[in-house]
Amino acid sequence: MFNLFRRDLILQKKMMLIFIPFILFFIIMGTSTTLIALVASVFIPFNAFYYDEKAETNILLNSLPYTRKEIVASRYIGAVVYMLLAIGLTSLLLLVFNQSFTLNEIAIGATMFMLFAALTFPIFYIFKPGYLMIVVLISFFVFLFIVENAIPYVMENFTTLTEFVLNLSTVELYVFGTLTILVVYGVSWLASTIIYQQKAL
Amino acid sequence: MENVVELKGIKKAFKGFSIDQIDMEVKKGFITGFVGANGAGKSTTIKMMMNLLKPDQGEVSVFGLDYKTHEKEIKERIGFVYDANVFYEGLNLKDIKRTVAPAYKSWDDDLFDYYVDKFGLPLNKAMKKFSKGMQMKASLAIALSHHAELIIMDEPTAGLDPIFRREFLDLIQELMVDSNRTIFFSSHITTDLDRIADYIAFIQDGDIVFNHSTEEVAENYAIVKGELDLLDRDTEKAFVEVRRVPTGFEALTDNLKQVNDIFGDSVVIEHATLEDIMYYLKGGVSHV
Repeated sequence: MFNLFRRDLILQKKMMLIFIPFILFFIIMGTSTTLIALVASVFIPFNAFYYDEKAETNILLNSLPYTRKEIVASRYIGAVVYMLLAIGLTSLLLLVFNQSFTLNEIAIGATMFMLFAALTFPIFYIFKPGYLMIVVLISFFVFLFIVENAIPYVMENFTTLTEFVLNLSTVELYVFGTLTILVVYGVSWLASTIIYQQKAL
Repeated sequence: MENVVELKGIKKAFKGFSIDQIDMEVKKGFITGFVGANGAGKSTTIKMMMNLLKPDQGEVSVFGLDYKTHEKEIKERIGFVYDANVFYEGLNLKDIKRTVAPAYKSWDDDLFDYYVDKFGLPLNKAMKKFSKGMQMKASLAIALSHHAELIIMDEPTAGLDPIFRREFLDLIQELMVDSNRTIFFSSHITTDLDRIADYIAFIQDGDIVFNHSTEEVAENYAIVKGELDLLDRDTEKAFVEVRRVPTGFEALTDNLKQVNDIFGDSVVIEHATLEDIMYYLKGGVSHV
């Protein structure tokens, strides 16, 4: 399975060159740390889907000695690995450019990325390739919009939930958040595996 | 004789096309040509052999193993070539090798270099700049570099010029020096198969019409020409398909001996090429 990660990196080696300028652009524009962490995380995993959008790639991967389970797993594990790398690099760039940031902002960015990945990855396995990238791009902005607007709404209108969350200590909040996101991510992973195993190539 | 691939009672339905029942074996150590018109079900069958498609019913076994429990072991031992380029077009052959090679335990870099050299393939040129023939050669070099016992090819000669097709067929024959190797390849260009196949599996409208050795095909199938008055309800039974023209009839038989017994010297018997067989069977008489 490690070979599948390596494959992503070989495919994207040219994209890597624009990765740092891309992040720098956001830093210079003064974008919030959370959003930078999110955008940086999205970069490699979603590009990987973009490269593999052609039907022939699925035929290739499935003709090689990989199981479908492994192919899906490489995407889900890869996304987390790339996210950690991207966030590490982003933090480094932020330090170099003397921008202050908190671990909290980064953590929220990472959580949002995993939530977004969990919601969109199964789409790649359900639909036929073609316009997926556009669908995902649009859903990315819709997702951002919802996060920005819905969270304040929920906080105002669902006071019991809000109070529950607010009453948690920082540690509890982290544990609770991590567990929630892991469950959502896991369910998404399972769903993608089942969908992909049924898929005719 | 050992079978490398066995398809038993395979059924698969699509919108507007279905495979009703396929039973087929691919014999170990031989070249089996898989022939049929465009849309007859060749690619679908090959996809089921590669586990890219799952049959609605029936069993696929490769090397005596089934895909449910031995997917990786099976695919380790298969080399594949498809009619379309499945490799990422933006990459050069060196990078494609780097993405494919680690997938196989028995990948052999020296062997790959040997084929790259033999085919005169550039390592640093993007795949999309390759001609169709070069792409085929590149796919073949990749398919051959992990000592695969079974090589499955879907229409490898489609879109190739005649000279390259001839080279390709020579190469396939060279590969068979290794007696452990089995080659299964589909084509709608029947002359390719006439030239090199040991066995011919013929598919039409999702049914395997026959799967015989080339000798058996030559012994049993023939084109018969004669006067119209020789035909009646009984004698016609010797034929798979009869075409009548004002000057007489032309027919395809799959039972040459019976034709000899019935008509003796009163008819002209000619060798039936695969193309003849395909053409006559396309006439629509269903037959097994």
